[in-house]
Amino acid sequence: MLEFLIPNNIVCHAVEAMLFASVACAVLGVIITQIQISSIGFTMAHAAFAGAAVGMFLSLNSTICAIIAGVCVAFLIGPLSDKARVSADTALGLLFGISMAVAIFFIAYMQTLGKGFSAMGLLFGDVISLYREEIYLLAIICVVAVVFVVVLYKEITGIIFNKKIAESVGIRVKPVYYAMLFVIALTVALCIPIIGGLLLYVWLVTPAAIALQFCYRLSAMFVVAPLVAAAISVSGALAGLEYSLPVAPLTAVLLSLVFIIAVVISPKRRITFRKS
Amino acid sequence: MTSVGPAIEIQGVYTAYEGAERPTLTDVSLTIGRGEYVVIGGPNGAGKTTLLETINGMLPITHGNALVCGHNVRGNGVQVRCRVGYLLQNFSFDPLTPFTVEEVVMMGRFGKMGLFRKPGKEDHDAVKKALALLEIEDLADRPIGHLSGGQQQKVLLAQNLARDPEILLLDEPFSNLDMFAREAINRLLTRLVIDGITVIIVSHAFDDLPDRPVRVLVMQEGKIALDRECSPGEVEQVIRNAGNGTRNA
Repeated sequence: MLEFLIPNNIVCHAVEAMLFASVACAVLGVIITQIQISSIGFTMAHAAFAGAAVGMFLSLNSTICAIIAGVCVAFLIGPLSDKARVSADTALGLLFGISMAVAIFFIAYMQTLGKGFSAMGLLFGDVISLYREEIYLLAIICVVAVVFVVVLYKEITGIIFNKKIAESVGIRVKPVYYAMLFVIALTVALCIPIIGGLLLYVWLVTPAAIALQFCYRLSAMFVVAPLVAAAISVSGALAGLEYSLPVAPLTAVLLSLVFIIAVVISPKRRITFRKS
Repeated sequence: MTSVGPAIEIQGVYTAYEGAERPTLTDVSLTIGRGEYVVIGGPNGAGKTTLLETINGMLPITHGNALVCGHNVRGNGVQVRCRVGYLLQNFSFDPLTPFTVEEVVMMGRFGKMGLFRKPGKEDHDAVKKALALLEIEDLADRPIGHLSGGQQQKVLLAQNLARDPEILLLDEPFSNLDMFAREAINRLLTRLVIDGITVIIVSHAFDDLPDRPVRVLVMQEGKIALDRECSPGEVEQVIRNAGNGTRNA
């Protein structure tokens, strides 16, 4: 897609992957951080990791298994917190524990059987060994995430403001909330091969946290967060490939540095009152 | 479009929270006309807030029937909530909440607009009118988290008024307000009642009632222990006597 700008195929694929993944994660990250369910990304990432491990054990497509596991967890969070009468946070904790147990069990079992399994790619990401189809999928999920927010913007803002107030004004909270979790799960599962299960958390949380340092309106956050994420991720990919540094960890460090700078220069912490 | 018939018609309603061993509302029957001003009193845990949330369909009815604005609450909760304003008890927002006052008031229109529709001129006009009614037009562009508790309370009331509700359910609406704001809100509610809007408030601030007869409901252990009309000066005593009567029974 961006070959006309970047002739080198490997660099071009890496930049495209980072661009689409970062925009999708940042847009959904605004929702995640504002509803205060950031542990959702962490749990889904580990569920997808477990799904990939099970897929490898059963000799199935690990990406598809990762997506299925992530989506299943998304659909379990709501009902588990409703029916088991525990907070969403506790539900996430329970699902995180189950996911890790399943992942570790299958990895250990495969090692016992003599099947090699490298978890590094799934944990820390690998931008240079992506197929073209995977980049198309990422482009599609990026568009899905943006369209989802644009189309359901007012319902999403209502839920972010307060779920109970949203329900009281006549918003159909549950279907929109579950749709939100579904899109997040899909995005997380597709981004794991690039960013990795552990670093994905940075993409989901940090751009939104940076935007919050400057924006007083949610609509502005939905613009600033993906712009910041895209700029830093593309820079990280180019710098990482140029200087032979690991791309995803380097970009995660850059995002964290920008967050620290944003906190320091944020106008929200400045007192502008002057006694005349 | 305003529906015909009583504003609220409840018959033998039981409401239970999920997993609870006993219903919170027990065999409640009640008819409230349009333009009535109803004050709900009673001790903590008597079922006052539960009654409000049963009326607007936020809590499931396990037995009985409830018609609100002509809609059966069972299965039509969203339609009911588009016509019924509900001011929740004790809310405060974090200073970092990224919403301006105008955006929060506009949310009151979201249910009425329906899925996929963006706010139009009619919605913006309704928001302006609601801000003007509460005399908070100057706060429109301020982040809600930067306001005082009383100002936030007014914003949430404006959010409910922006919906052009047929019924207003207010849970402790005077709790965060200073005396001037309480008087202003009281005048506004009286005007709304004269315009035909049904106002139902749960309150312990009996000084802030309209200067006209009001209907008093006293809740005790999930039931309506008393339902009568009285002058505003009598309300506190009536609620107190009803409480003592039930305790001594």
